[in-house]
Amino acid sequence: MTRSSTLSAGADAPPLVDLDFHKRQKALSFALLLPAAFAVLTLILYPLIRVVEISFRDGRMMNFARISELPLGLGNYARVLGDANFWNACATSALYVTGSVGVGFLIGLATALLLNEKLPGTRFLRTLILLPWAVPGVIVAIMFLWLLDSSFGVFNAMLRDVGLLTGDFPWFVDSRSALISVVLATVWKTYPLITLTILAALQSVPRDLYEAAMIDGANRWNSFFDITWPGIKGPAYLVIMISALGVFRDIDIVFATTNGGPARATETLALYVYKEAFHYFRMGAATAVGTLMVGVAFFIAFLFAGLANRARY
Amino acid sequence: MSIRRILFWLVLAGFTVVTLFPFYWMVMTAIMPTDAILARSPSLLPDLSRASFAPFVEIFVDKPFLIWMRNSLIVNLICTTLSLLVAALAGYSLSRFTNRPQQALGASLLVSKLVPSSLILIPLFIIYSNIGLFNTYAGLVLANMTIGVPLATWLMKGFFDRIPRELEQAAMIDGATQLQALRQIVLPLARPGLAASTVYLVLTNWSEFIFARTLVDTPSRQVLTVGMQSFVGEQMVDWQLLMAAGTVSVLPAVILFIFLEPFLVSGMTKGALAGT
Repeated sequence: MTRSSTLSAGADAPPLVDLDFHKRQKALSFALLLPAAFAVLTLILYPLIRVVEISFRDGRMMNFARISELPLGLGNYARVLGDANFWNACATSALYVTGSVGVGFLIGLATALLLNEKLPGTRFLRTLILLPWAVPGVIVAIMFLWLLDSSFGVFNAMLRDVGLLTGDFPWFVDSRSALISVVLATVWKTYPLITLTILAALQSVPRDLYEAAMIDGANRWNSFFDITWPGIKGPAYLVIMISALGVFRDIDIVFATTNGGPARATETLALYVYKEAFHYFRMGAATAVGTLMVGVAFFIAFLFAGLANRARY
Repeated sequence: MSIRRILFWLVLAGFTVVTLFPFYWMVMTAIMPTDAILARSPSLLPDLSRASFAPFVEIFVDKPFLIWMRNSLIVNLICTTLSLLVAALAGYSLSRFTNRPQQALGASLLVSKLVPSSLILIPLFIIYSNIGLFNTYAGLVLANMTIGVPLATWLMKGFFDRIPRELEQAAMIDGATQLQALRQIVLPLARPGLAASTVYLVLTNWSEFIFARTLVDTPSRQVLTVGMQSFVGEQMVDWQLLMAAGTVSVLPAVILFIFLEPFLVSGMTKGALAGT
């Protein structure tokens, strides 16, 4: 509908230039966009509208085809906001995201700075350091389940060898260490993108600035905070935002390591949504939480996009 | 080399060893006899003369590993091809035209990065149940496109932005249509972008788990990640077999990554970072 109306509006274009050419250009620009627009409308926007709609449907319906026949209301939001498990999931998500992205950022920044030193073999080391990025989340989960296995995991074996541990310790099962273990696995998968982004940003910082600073007697800390950081902080904020959104959204690693356990100690919001929907079939509650999550994600994106934008000037 | 640079190099090399250790231990667990690995304090450098590759055969015999791989490949191939086509056209359109609809589409592609997979699953699950896409490759391909297309589009836009418009304009003055100019002049120049997008799409589709786990439930249509996860739920995990399976699962992705990493790096840096 909008497409055809915009097209006819194109006929009002100033007749100074070749009108036919412009019309054809416009038609082409739409034609090129059509497949993507179709994909976005049917696979992203329409489902999102359904999400919001379902979140306002009160009651439960096991026949999903008829879920829209339920009455409208705020019942799901009331139910969710009164659920202690929801607030637990909020706290867990906050810890999980800040922990994973915080540590991931420090590692990413450090590795990027080191790789930028143009040491011998760094071209090769770069590929190796970025490698975890290519591993599917589920496989990351399995690898860390094995490394941190209670009886036969190599990590506990190392701890026993240096005398820090006698006996076993179930990292993913103990409620004190489960979240830390999940964060560790997530960091391993998350930091390469941060390394990559910051490395790219570092390469655009003019070298002669450092020389000038050296002449002025600046030490390494000075030149990092006065030259390097201002040069990379835009991309840095951006990649922090992207990684945070990714960790906030994904459930693969949590799902395959602990599935939210023990006793919901690692149940993030994304996993809470999944369980409400596909274990308990409470689609209304799940979509209500999901709608709130998208709101939060918007806020994070807005905040960091603002920071990144400001860093450009 | 100054002492400081040697120190830097050692730190970097040390970090590389630590970050690669999970890979190393996975392979060791797969190829070494269980008594060398499932021990109270296994040697970190096991005697490689005792290595055996039998577990790599076993996974194909004991588990429907070949079927999982085949399904992953089918879904991946179709999805990557379709996504690349859609993303290249849309990326070009976003790069060359700036109408209102273009901007709206660009923004909604970014919105998709804010939506959790476990959330978009709910309406997809309902829609698929209604229109018969549940349990089909087609359904899975479409669902996976929601992840791949947005970033690939922004990646391609970034590459197209760097190709001067003047090249196409010159061709069009010579009588070529814009589509001809796109095919004969712009696309060949955008080859690194297409390569970067392909790597990204293949890796993303290879990793995808939660859609496949929820939108498909026939065992014969399961993909690799879902199959791998089903190992973990078993009462007694056979770590040797699981690590052999893990090694085979990451191998295609790792090889692809090692060879095409330069493209990906240039893609991420030259292309639109905003889309990652």
